Amino acid sequence: MSRQYSAVGRRARGAVAVAAVIALATTVAVNASSGARKAQLTIAFVSQGTSNSWAAQLDAVARKTAKQLGVKLVYYNGQGDATKQLPELQTAIATHPDAMVVVPLGQAADTGPVERAMSAGIPVVLCDSKINSDKYTSLVNPNPATATVPLTEWLAKKMNYKGNLLYIGGLPGNGTTILYDQGFNSVIKKYKNIKVVNGGNANYSISTAKQLTATAIASGKKFDGTWGVGGEAVTGILQAYVDAGVKPIPPNAGAAATNGSLRLAIENKVQAAMLQFPPVDSKVCVETAVKAAKGQKVPKEINISKLSQYGNLYPPLNRYYKSQYSDDLYVGTDAVLTKAELAAIHLIR
Amino acid sequence: MRDGAGSASLAANERPSAARSLLVDWASGGSWRVSVVPIAAALVAGVLLAVFESDFYRSQNLHVLMQQCSVLGIVTLGQLLVLLVGGIDLSVGAVMNATLIIIAVMNRHHTQIAASIVLSLCLGVAVGLVNGLLVSLRDVPPFAATLGMLACIQGALLVYTKGVPAGNIPKELRPVALDGVGIVPYSLIICLAIALVLWFVLRRGTYGRKIYAVGRSPEVARRVAISTTNVRVSAYVMCGLFAAIAGIILSAYVGYVDPTIGGNYNLQSIAAAVVGGVAFTGGEGSVVGALTGVFFLLALLNVVTLSSLNPFMQLIIQGAVMLVAVSVFQFLKKSPAN
Repeated sequence: MSRQYSAVGRRARGAVAVAAVIALATTVAVNASSGARKAQLTIAFVSQGTSNSWAAQLDAVARKTAKQLGVKLVYYNGQGDATKQLPELQTAIATHPDAMVVVPLGQAADTGPVERAMSAGIPVVLCDSKINSDKYTSLVNPNPATATVPLTEWLAKKMNYKGNLLYIGGLPGNGTTILYDQGFNSVIKKYKNIKVVNGGNANYSISTAKQLTATAIASGKKFDGTWGVGGEAVTGILQAYVDAGVKPIPPNAGAAATNGSLRLAIENKVQAAMLQFPPVDSKVCVETAVKAAKGQKVPKEINISKLSQYGNLYPPLNRYYKSQYSDDLYVGTDAVLTKAELAAIHLIR
Repeated sequence: MRDGAGSASLAANERPSAARSLLVDWASGGSWRVSVVPIAAALVAGVLLAVFESDFYRSQNLHVLMQQCSVLGIVTLGQLLVLLVGGIDLSVGAVMNATLIIIAVMNRHHTQIAASIVLSLCLGVAVGLVNGLLVSLRDVPPFAATLGMLACIQGALLVYTKGVPAGNIPKELRPVALDGVGIVPYSLIICLAIALVLWFVLRRGTYGRKIYAVGRSPEVARRVAISTTNVRVSAYVMCGLFAAIAGIILSAYVGYVDPTIGGNYNLQSIAAAVVGGVAFTGGEGSVVGALTGVFFLLALLNVVTLSSLNPFMQLIIQGAVMLVAVSVFQFLKKSPAN
């Protein structure tokens, strides 16, 4: 009887011991896994989203950079529209990531949410566009307001500081367009003998830019230089000149340097100068966000245009053109992405 | 005294009323008079242009204007059909974008112009068919059905291209938009040929009468044994087909892979039709009116560019013209005789 009791007691003690070991192991495992979760930072990437080739390259570079840095990148798709990006931005804030990278599509609309994120203690890195507030952690931007100054000077010099200059604008009210115009106007107003002929706003559309330029050429005015806000405007301008059979095509400036704008300029022997609006700067954006998430100090503004590899491009342009890639490749993307990665987003010709 | 004052006041009141009734009498003569308004306005504008902006009549400028009119003209003719049956099509721009992508991708490595054109036209027809069936059989409001279609097409293009459209517009296709007979581009000849056939069909054919009947009163049309479903679906199919044709011509004109190429054409085609006297309520409008609306809108934009006017004024001018045009048509339509 007593042996029976003692056997039951041993089994009970054994069961308790096993339960204790299991509980201990579970606690250790849970602690270990939460420690691992804590070790991997989460960066919310509120992108411009699936809309055009610039955004596709921006996203690909951001994803690759996050992978290289060992951080988790949670992607929020703005679908190229400020009104669609806004709820994505708010959802991202609600998840309280370690840091955020935001590519603002609405300078005014995104201001409130970014300020709220900062108030909630989430560092926010603005990538390529500003908001109407200085409540953000860092702004990584090519800053067209400063980058267009030497471009406009170059164009004025090519025009011998006189004659008609055809201006094709961007999207009225858009942050980048405003900065482009600031830089352009600050220079051009100095040269009283240059008459700016406003050809209209192309709204970042190649076909609209082409139609506007074709009309301006058809008016019979002779232009000594052309300026386009962005790659689409410049592509439209050059395409219109080519189709109208005007030779030589007057010097041009203002394009964001893509393989296509380079090709058009080279093929048609146009003296052209281009600004870099490189989507690969998302690498700097993600790196800055990771630093901020780790509590490291980051600069309030990183002007990409001042980095040597992202400076303006001047003739001869064939140094930058890469015939093996498609027209949509932005200068510099191939330095970050491998051929396989470029092929995945249709950038190999 | 009172009578005298009263009759004087009556006479004063009658003067504007007499003028109005004169205008109303003139307007009540038939729907053709409503069509005459945009033509008359265009003629007046033409005279004013000759006086104030003589560069407008340069042959090179007229050639450019005709190139632009042909693309918007074809899209607007499709939009006209849909508006006549009381619908609206917001997916024409997306069809144009898809057309460009099809042409660019299919001609990326080998020239396959004919196959890419056929496929583009088939896509236009398919989109129109789905739009028409949604509106006619499922009673989905035209605005919602075609807006949904726009989102579907744009989404599909993004999924397929990943935002990076590859390919080329073949050089062999470009003369369609760039060359022509004298200063008249081939694209305008295509547009006018389509317009002529459509005018004949709408004015002289049974199909045309059915279109107007369904637009004016679907209920009455059903009672007289007109298949409103068939008529509506056919209008959307034609609209999709015309959008694809316009997309092909615009691709040839631009010569560059721009996946947003058709973006402006949804609203522009509706605006041109409305300026040309086509009613949103269905059953009213004509081929001549729609094409005149196209000319009017594009000529205005052309003059703004030629005159180096502030481009910010473009939208205001466009909006003001639309408002005036719609007000005039409403005034004419509300006449008691009409």
